[in-house]
Amino acid sequence: MRLAGRLGGAALSLVMVAVLGFFLFRVVPGDPVVSMTRGRPTTAATQEALRAQFGLDRPVHEQFWSYFTGLLRGELGTSFTFRRPVADVILERLGPTLLLVGTSTLIAVGLGLWLGVRAAWRRNSALDRVTTGVSLTLWAVPTFWLGMLLMMVTGDLFPSRGMRDTDTPPDFLSQALDVGHHLVLPSVTLVAVVCAEYALVMRSSLLEELHAPYLTTARAKGLRDDVVRRRHAVPNAVLPAITLVFLRVGLVVSGAITTETVFSWPGLGLLFYDALTGPDYFLLQGLLVVTAGAVVVMNLLADLLHGVLDPRVKVV
Amino acid sequence: MRRFLAHRTGTAGAVVLAVAALVALVAPLLIPAEALDVTRVTAPAWQPPGARQWLGTDHTGRSVALLMAQGAGTSLFVGLTAAVLAVGIGTLVGIVSGHFGGLLSGALLRVTDFFLVLPALVLAIALSTVLPRGLGTIVLAIGLTSWPSTARVVRAQTLTIEARPFVERARALGGGHGHVIGRHVLPSVVPLVLVNATLAVASAIVAESTLAFLGLGDPTRISWGAMLHQAQLHGAVPRAAWWFLLPPGLAIVVVVLAFTLVGRALEAVVTPKR
Amino acid sequence: MRVKLGALLAVATTVVLGAPPVAAQQPVILKVAITQQIDSLNPFLAVFQSSTEVGRLMYDYLTAYAADDQAVTEGLARSWESSADKLTWTFTVPEGKKWSDGQPITAHDVAFTYNLMLTDEAARTANGSFVTNFASVTAPDDRTVVIRTKTPQVTMLALDVPIVPRHVWEHVGSVKDHANDRMPVVGSGPFVLTEHVAGQHIKLKANKTYWRGAPKVDELHFVYFQNSDAAVQALGKGEVDLVNRMAPAQFDSLAGKDGVTRNKAQGRRFTELLINPGAQTRTGEPIGDGHPALRDVRVRRAVAQAIDLDALVQRVNLGYAEKGAGLVPPVFTQWHWKPDEAQQRRFDPAAANAALDAAGYPRRADGTRFPLRLIGRAGRAYDEQASEYLKRSMGDIGIPLDVRLVSDNQLNEATTAATYDLAFSGWATNVDPDFVLSLHTCAQRPGADGKGGTTDAYFCDETYDRLYARQLSEFDQGERVRIVHQMQARFHDQVPAVVLAYDNALEAYRSDRFARFTTQPAQGGVIMAQNGVWGYYGAEPLQRAAPAPGSRWPAFAIGAAVLVALVVTALVLARRRRATAGERE
Repeated sequence: MRLAGRLGGAALSLVMVAVLGFFLFRVVPGDPVVSMTRGRPTTAATQEALRAQFGLDRPVHEQFWSYFTGLLRGELGTSFTFRRPVADVILERLGPTLLLVGTSTLIAVGLGLWLGVRAAWRRNSALDRVTTGVSLTLWAVPTFWLGMLLMMVTGDLFPSRGMRDTDTPPDFLSQALDVGHHLVLPSVTLVAVVCAEYALVMRSSLLEELHAPYLTTARAKGLRDDVVRRRHAVPNAVLPAITLVFLRVGLVVSGAITTETVFSWPGLGLLFYDALTGPDYFLLQGLLVVTAGAVVVMNLLADLLHGVLDPRVKVV
Repeated sequence: MRRFLAHRTGTAGAVVLAVAALVALVAPLLIPAEALDVTRVTAPAWQPPGARQWLGTDHTGRSVALLMAQGAGTSLFVGLTAAVLAVGIGTLVGIVSGHFGGLLSGALLRVTDFFLVLPALVLAIALSTVLPRGLGTIVLAIGLTSWPSTARVVRAQTLTIEARPFVERARALGGGHGHVIGRHVLPSVVPLVLVNATLAVASAIVAESTLAFLGLGDPTRISWGAMLHQAQLHGAVPRAAWWFLLPPGLAIVVVVLAFTLVGRALEAVVTPKR
Repeated sequence: MRVKLGALLAVATTVVLGAPPVAAQQPVILKVAITQQIDSLNPFLAVFQSSTEVGRLMYDYLTAYAADDQAVTEGLARSWESSADKLTWTFTVPEGKKWSDGQPITAHDVAFTYNLMLTDEAARTANGSFVTNFASVTAPDDRTVVIRTKTPQVTMLALDVPIVPRHVWEHVGSVKDHANDRMPVVGSGPFVLTEHVAGQHIKLKANKTYWRGAPKVDELHFVYFQNSDAAVQALGKGEVDLVNRMAPAQFDSLAGKDGVTRNKAQGRRFTELLINPGAQTRTGEPIGDGHPALRDVRVRRAVAQAIDLDALVQRVNLGYAEKGAGLVPPVFTQWHWKPDEAQQRRFDPAAANAALDAAGYPRRADGTRFPLRLIGRAGRAYDEQASEYLKRSMGDIGIPLDVRLVSDNQLNEATTAATYDLAFSGWATNVDPDFVLSLHTCAQRPGADGKGGTTDAYFCDETYDRLYARQLSEFDQGERVRIVHQMQARFHDQVPAVVLAYDNALEAYRSDRFARFTTQPAQGGVIMAQNGVWGYYGAEPLQRAAPAPGSRWPAFAIGAAVLVALVVTALVLARRRRATAGERE
């Protein structure tokens, strides 16, 4: 009954995310209506109406109930800033983030795992030392600083912001090339930081595997070294590594916030930053619930996938 | 100790940390207050490094070198206290859930796993948005979001230890919870906790700089992260003022790396080679 | 496989080099950097300055303010008159003005807009204050709008309300939920909104049938930047043509830059330091926890006297501001008030010390009198720096200052609950000074429940209120100016707040692509954030504009290289996978 347990656990986590989101952002001291109307001539009646519109005049338990039932219907409240449903605002920013995070994750996983395998296979070789050293250093680098540095060093080579220029011809090829051009710096930044972690994870995962008796057997059979590596060691070591990679999905989310902020990449991370400056509590809450919820779901998937792929783990 | 010194990288890290700690402790005593007071500085703003200002000046004419020295204290302080808080919570939760078992243990494990999965930075940002600005908030935000990994490790170790025959014997002889935890579990957990704490300081320093960069830091204090926030706010990148952008970032990287290396060396010493 | 990869590369290169984006008849595009989000495109809901600006481009108001001197001029209405009792206003909307979809603009559109605001709470969100005094709005025929007000209202020619087309908006079910994003959005302004991508950009096309004549540029793009730093950098690279709201240091960094011209203009904003004068609600209940000593006007004056305004302007504003005094910035020449010799408050710490001694707050043994708290916004460069200066100034008169810099929301919280001693604040002023003056009347204080107030200074002064009421119904311009000056003198004398500085608006544009922009006012005026949209409307492109930065070739080549590299990597990986699979069996 492990499957049911897993699903139940994930469901419980999602509920906890929702509760956390509510208590963190709704039970804060403060009257958001005042910030909304700041610097505008407003009457008391207008403020009251706004308060009623956002449901801020009702008791906390009622607010929680309508928030929670709203969540089940996929509603996340209304953004103070945009005066539109938070869910809509988030949806329209999802694309750019998926593009950036997707591209970077693919590259980072590929590069990180490859480096990790090479480093572990030739332990203490020059390659291993360089890989480990560089990975540890990159792990210590604040993402946003790396981004600022890249921007300063590359000068005019890459655009300083955003996802595309407004005057690019509308045909598909031009648009794709333009987006590609804008994508370079943000994705390099994100890859550099995330890839380091993946390389370290893969390296230690493979190191654990290296002492397994079956590898000795394989070598004893007289198989070539790289065949042993590719056919025997890596397939076994890659699974725990992939699971760990999924576990670190939160890392990508965090990286995306600062990277998107530095490069004004119009995705969820930038939205997060913008919501901070208000602060737009409902939007922040929605973002927290959505990102944390996504991470919980990703982990569940990783878990299940791991069970399916690795016969040693029994899921059902 | 000798085994630690055998790790060359670990030793190098420890030396770096000693230097950083020295700077952090001594700087506030040596730097005259008016040198960092924007109302009293006389040097022009945005001066590149030169003979007089060997790391140049920032947007208000303050010496970047002095800011670096002054900022070391805040960055290290936040890193250390947040790590202590995180590891403290982690150890407590780990031991309690490992030792007592039952419903409580299950609930604690559930909560730990929940926080382990959540993106810590997102949560820390949320916390520091809601709470009033200040050093305490940052420490709290980082500490409250980075304890779960310690809790997991400590719990596992507690379970291992409690399964050992000598603990069984202590129990049979009438040793209460306090006795078992105090005499057997804690001593065996301490080395692990130490390793975790060292690594936690590293990530706490990065987290502090990130929060400060996003404008969530304590604005009345100088830290390396806050310097980078200022660099961004006042346009160091378009000015190509590398002297204001490079040093704080490099300092963070070096110190964090040093903590990581020391942590790894400690880890190697604590967990014997298989 | 190698062959295939080679072929792919060749194909990619041919595609990239062989099919350049056509350069035929490029439209003239003015690209403007904005650092503020667009909160809404619905003109009834849009509150942010950026959205209001876009709203002004899309929809004309009933009247407008001239570019050269900000005098009231023709908007949708060409002429107007008021009854003798000033309660009835008649506006004439001339024939010939058209909505961007070709429908004629009539008085019914105007009446529809105002009546929508009078009947629908949501429609009053952004500009409700302009119609609160309206009794009725009618359109007896296509050309005439009649507005009746409950009491005489001097701001009848300064109704900053976008007029919307009735034939579009009468089908809108709920104003609150209407996003107004059916592109192109039917409007009456010099530009028509054609595209909005959240967090990225807004595109507008020139309204060729605009009644003042078509604008000189074909398209107007607003590009969103997350901070002014990035915007300044993009201007330097030529990615945008116009930037405003620069920090003084950023403005300085553009000095002498090729192809960039800077515009230092008189702004509409002032920065002030609030001094909690003992905050009370409208009913006279004390609220908040302001320091009791500040209720004494002598103490407030001493605090003000100890602040070196010139030093603040020089060191914090880097000279890009004018020393503050009254509530109306100098850009509104007429309403702006300058203290005369007797009213002038000179920087004099010694006199301030003496005044505090005399007021009954002598220095204690440790050299201090009483501590005060100063609250400001974290991340606002001005607050971060000016607080350092104030700390020192107050220290010099024996007042240790505890500085707390907090988020925007927490700052609002503190000012609306009056839980501050000193606080940074600031307001933007309109052409008509009514709003900024009204802020400091007793009626603007919060109600008994502590809610519903607009003021953050908690000033309540009988003399000031009496003057306010008088100017509100004074239709003789000269007399009203005199009263407005008196009010500012009273405010300055009672110091519920020290106006620290009138900030300059700092802007810059690519002068290798644009010859000139229309500023408002003509002398020392702004290009963006005007009381109008003359800046964009009057933008004149250079005859032989510099080619858009580096044509687009290097950019596309790099983009292509990246894509090709990705594809190649993918193929290599796939090949290896297959090879591995092959070896397996």
